[in-house]
Amino acid sequence: MKKLYPITLSRALSRALSSSSSSASAQSTAFPLKHVTKGNFESALAELRRHVAAADFVAIDLEMSGVTSAPWRESFEFDRSDVRYLKVKDSAEKFAVVQFGVCPFRWDSSKLSFIAHPHNFYVFPRQEVQIDGPSYEFLWQTTSIEFLAKYQFDFNACIREGISYLSRGQEKEALRRLSIAYEDELSDTWCNMKEVKDIPINRMADVLFAERIKNRFSEWRDGLLQDRNGGSQLQWNSNDSKQQFQTVFFKMRPALNLTSFTSHQFRLIQLVINKHFKDLSYVRVNGDDLCSQQLVVYTESKDEKVLLMKEVKDENRRVAEMKIQAAIGFRHVIDLLSSEQKLIVGHNCFLDIAHVYSKFIGPLPSAAEEFVSSVNKYFPHIVDTKILLNANHVLQQRMKKSSTSLSSAFALLCPQISVSAKSTGLTFQQCVQVEVQVDDMRSSNWDSGAKHEAGYDAFMTGCIFVQACSYLGIDFKLHSPSENLAHNEKLCKHVNHLYLSWINGDIIDLSTGNKVAELFGTNYFKKKYPNILFENIVLIWGFPSKIKAREITESICKVFGLTSVTSVYHLDETAVFVQFSKPEFVSDFLLLKETLEKSDGPISVLHPLAKLLEGGNTHAGNYETYKEICSSPISKVLFANQAEAVGIKWKREAVEPKIAVERKEHTSFWEENAVNNSTKSSEKSKQGKVHNAKKDMLCGNYEIIDSLNAAEVNQIRTNNL
Amino acid sequence: MAPLPHLLQRRFLCQKTHTTNKWKTVKQVTKSNFADTLSDLKIHIAESDFIAVSLQRTGAVSAPWHRVLPFDTPDTAYSKSRHAADRFQLLQFAVCPFSITSASKLRAHPYNFHLFPRDELKIGMPSYSFSCQTSYLTTMAKEGFDFNACIYDGISYLSRAQESAARVRIGNPTAIPHVVKSSSKPSVADAVFIERIKSRVKYWRNACKDTSSKTDEALVRSLRKIVLGSEEHGSRPCINIDVCSERQVQLVLEMLEEFSDELVPLIIPGKGGAAQEVRVILTSSKEDKVLFQKELQNIEEEQNKKVRGFREVIDLISASQKPVVSHNSLNDFTFIHSKFLAPLPPNFDEFMCTLRLVFPHVLDIQQLMKEIGPLRKVTNIPTAISYLKDHFFAPIDMEILHEDTVNEGKIHGHNVLSISHLFAKLCSILKIAPIQSDNKNLVPALEKYANILTPCSLSPQESTDEDIRVWTNNTRKVNCEHLVFLWGFKRGMTAGMLKSLLQGSHDVFSKEFDVRLVDKSCAIVVFWKPGLSETFMDLISSKEICGSLGEMVSEGLRAARYGTYKKVCRLGILEADLARSLDKALEEPDCLWQGDSETNPLEVYWYSDSIINFDDL
Repeated sequence: MKKLYPITLSRALSRALSSSSSSASAQSTAFPLKHVTKGNFESALAELRRHVAAADFVAIDLEMSGVTSAPWRESFEFDRSDVRYLKVKDSAEKFAVVQFGVCPFRWDSSKLSFIAHPHNFYVFPRQEVQIDGPSYEFLWQTTSIEFLAKYQFDFNACIREGISYLSRGQEKEALRRLSIAYEDELSDTWCNMKEVKDIPINRMADVLFAERIKNRFSEWRDGLLQDRNGGSQLQWNSNDSKQQFQTVFFKMRPALNLTSFTSHQFRLIQLVINKHFKDLSYVRVNGDDLCSQQLVVYTESKDEKVLLMKEVKDENRRVAEMKIQAAIGFRHVIDLLSSEQKLIVGHNCFLDIAHVYSKFIGPLPSAAEEFVSSVNKYFPHIVDTKILLNANHVLQQRMKKSSTSLSSAFALLCPQISVSAKSTGLTFQQCVQVEVQVDDMRSSNWDSGAKHEAGYDAFMTGCIFVQACSYLGIDFKLHSPSENLAHNEKLCKHVNHLYLSWINGDIIDLSTGNKVAELFGTNYFKKKYPNILFENIVLIWGFPSKIKAREITESICKVFGLTSVTSVYHLDETAVFVQFSKPEFVSDFLLLKETLEKSDGPISVLHPLAKLLEGGNTHAGNYETYKEICSSPISKVLFANQAEAVGIKWKREAVEPKIAVERKEHTSFWEENAVNNSTKSSEKSKQGKVHNAKKDMLCGNYEIIDSLNAAEVNQIRTNNL
Repeated sequence: MAPLPHLLQRRFLCQKTHTTNKWKTVKQVTKSNFADTLSDLKIHIAESDFIAVSLQRTGAVSAPWHRVLPFDTPDTAYSKSRHAADRFQLLQFAVCPFSITSASKLRAHPYNFHLFPRDELKIGMPSYSFSCQTSYLTTMAKEGFDFNACIYDGISYLSRAQESAARVRIGNPTAIPHVVKSSSKPSVADAVFIERIKSRVKYWRNACKDTSSKTDEALVRSLRKIVLGSEEHGSRPCINIDVCSERQVQLVLEMLEEFSDELVPLIIPGKGGAAQEVRVILTSSKEDKVLFQKELQNIEEEQNKKVRGFREVIDLISASQKPVVSHNSLNDFTFIHSKFLAPLPPNFDEFMCTLRLVFPHVLDIQQLMKEIGPLRKVTNIPTAISYLKDHFFAPIDMEILHEDTVNEGKIHGHNVLSISHLFAKLCSILKIAPIQSDNKNLVPALEKYANILTPCSLSPQESTDEDIRVWTNNTRKVNCEHLVFLWGFKRGMTAGMLKSLLQGSHDVFSKEFDVRLVDKSCAIVVFWKPGLSETFMDLISSKEICGSLGEMVSEGLRAARYGTYKKVCRLGILEADLARSLDKALEEPDCLWQGDSETNPLEVYWYSDSIINFDDL
């Protein structure tokens, strides 16, 4: 299913190409990428701090465990920007980041070259801190694993050695839970004791155990007291006891270290101590490692006992806090990038940024506006190389015949680095040199030998950025190290512009949250796709599986007129979008459907829509319904099942569609150019042609059926006139 | 049969290596040795009386209360298991055909299959995506599980339902075994159709056979091909005949049968699964025809292997109709059903129906354990083993028969050996002679344990047979009607505190009642006196509520009947906190579902000795 992964797949294909050609080359220097796992994270981080501080920009790239949680969650041209954001949000929330490439680039004015330090971090969301709440869970997309496997991704390294992390949100939450627990424990000390007393010892084994333990403790305590009075040493009578009770000193007080008891026995011990010994206290000390110590400590007075308990609790809290600190892990890298305020460079990186946000900052906001303004706070300057490649005339010409996928752009723009492009014989006058440094090794035509990993992709992204900058007229020789690249006048108009959807050519400005028109009106995509009128769209799902799109169109046209349906688009095999020529038709259709379902007289059986409604599982809603279904955390493979899982209430909502449509129209927060009634009919006719031509390419197994033949176009014209 | 001395020697070796190498004898199966292993397994299954299974999943429950709890009815327990089976994936599937030859002798053939839901046919199956719990993956990593090997060499599969969908989707040509003559008389249109096709085929065949054309130039040859519509199927010439209906397919096949015996028809399915065209292949002779048909058969078998993959093992087990032994069978069989049979049905009864058709006898170790000890203590395999070791003397002589006994590297799937071992031990303790007299039926002594999948609740067999409930000492049966879920109380409250708070709050609590915490957010209250739960529910929703109970309600205390909990499970609203799930379920509009399940109130068990301890479950 090629259409699933427009980005990854094209990358995969070109990767495959470049890998086959590069193997023939012997010129490149081969030394491995800097791989970072749990083991060398501390040292790598310290080094990275230096490199980032000195860098002019930092390129990043992520490898994820998947992209879409269901086929219908892929990017479609029928996605409004808010829906597109919801899809990205769903992806970032469900899938894990398994590799994170970070590559700082520094301009070396003495060598007139950039120095790149590619780092490849293995990341794995291991649950290091035991806070209650749901267990960590993430989704794998089978095709994505196969993709990673094809490029020899090391899953063992990722799962066993991957660096875990806590987002800022998780850290805060962990600390909050910790302090609540701490306060609870402090205030509930007496309460707890009472609680312990509540448990009756009624099993014979428990009674015997409690009695034995009681004797043991009193012996020990008496021994201590005698010892102080110059009495004899206490003798344990069995080896077993020696192992289970070990006399130690705890905070300068005599104590017994208890080992190899079951949790039930510990509970009984605690009970016995609280009940029978005023001068002994039972404490649990959490060590730095995972194990905790169980102790019975002797205290001389009640005050001392209270003091001891407080000390123990503070100690436990400190240890727990340290654990939380240690669990931050990979987020240190993100914090570093954020605090240095460096220019971040990615390739088609909206999804990457969403992942960074949800993994390392906090839960993704429900609306794109909020997300964008929040991202801007953490990363004020982000450049998307895909934007650059499509924004400049010169670059566009260079790239014309090839795709703007990462590796093909790399091969085209950086032939001196990319080995795969050598054979094409393309040379450019302006080539910025890039030298790679991994630990102590340096090279100016570097071939990692471990290609197609996040670290290498980040490196490629950075190289493309450097060349693209030079095409934009930025001369790095004149560039002073103190100046922030992001403020460069030639670059700044592209900064913070990201493709929200590559398919639609939707660009979002991170600093303002607005949608941006592409800089060059000549965008390929504007022509390719017609304006979609979201308010004219009705979504139908759950219809009998044998029904073809053409039949749906026909039956609707029989009711609403020949020109009523502009286009039909299959979301998946269980759902279609039907775009009407007028927004009123949406509510009319929903009302009619409802009426037909209610009556079971001959009219409903003979009605043209009867075929569509056959089986009684056919549901319909407007575009807002679609948005709501997209926003659900559930992901069923088929859309009809998804809609059912989200709630059957949609069926009922359709009773008052007019109100719903009106009300919901105002809630859409973006100014939609698309929601524009003055669309010219000529554009619509173009849509028909384009759709037919692109039919196979876009839809894989499904069909787009366009009812617009020439005669109908004429009719629309006359209608509109 | 192996000669006796040899057998003895092997047994001797087995015993010698008992402690160290015993688990090394689980045969590890991946893509590369799957085909070979399958034939061995087939023999071993035929020779054995029982088949033990054990599954390694990528996750189980996201929150403690998602486990099957003592107060779950079969339906709620099933819903919970179903929720997990739908989301998580199987990475290992251990199968162990075994026999208990005498009271203390166990012969086992353990296999561990490594699975990965690879999309072998590029049709988006068996699994678009699956969930993983990081804790599960971490534990597996600690045990030395090789994820790379699993992903690269794991065996893929398709469920039975997926296979039929895939056949349509792949659209491979299918051969027709033999044509059954249709009884209906051909109409005029049919006759015209037949004549047209007949002449076309005839012309084409003659042209193909015409040796004179072989000398033609390439251009002429290709022109001729276009005119005739002749194509090639492998090395043989063929012609495609478009058909519009099944009727036309039938007509074409009948015509071909009569026409010539050198022709082999294949049906090319269209998108919808219906035939789109008939491909007629010309074979050069009778021998060639046989050869070609054999080729087709091989291709089909190859295809089947590719399509079914690991499911062949499931089909083998099912076909043998032998009893399947498992620990925690509800979880295992919901996974088996969803991955290898079909998507899970919405309710427990349907699930049991389809499952019984495939696996007539399912035996759960936990059901046998119930006989001899309190269930709560022995819910996992190691504790069960140590419990038996501490309480009973029942030595089992385990004999593992594999040709290549020592594997290299890490060994997985030894749980399946523990299960067979436990089963043998339990049979010996319970004085059950598990020797199968015939394959179709279980020995009567085991019959009463069969097909009880939910560990905690009542099953039809149980409620009729009073004798086997030996563990009622610390459990009490309670009707779901008398249970009320409470949440929204102060955080950190214990069951005891809550009980004492409630006790003084209202008259309703003056009679005997009990409180247990389900999780930190939610408690379950049982009113032992009938009718009081209704009184309480009326009270809590009324406006006149006052006193300390009123205070608690104003602070956010909420309550719901057992029906709401059922709804939570049925709709799969499994949030981390039960309280949130119940809140959500109350927001959901009540729909059609309500009627049927409410009418037959079920009874669940109430453990009266202590709180529900999740560590033990």
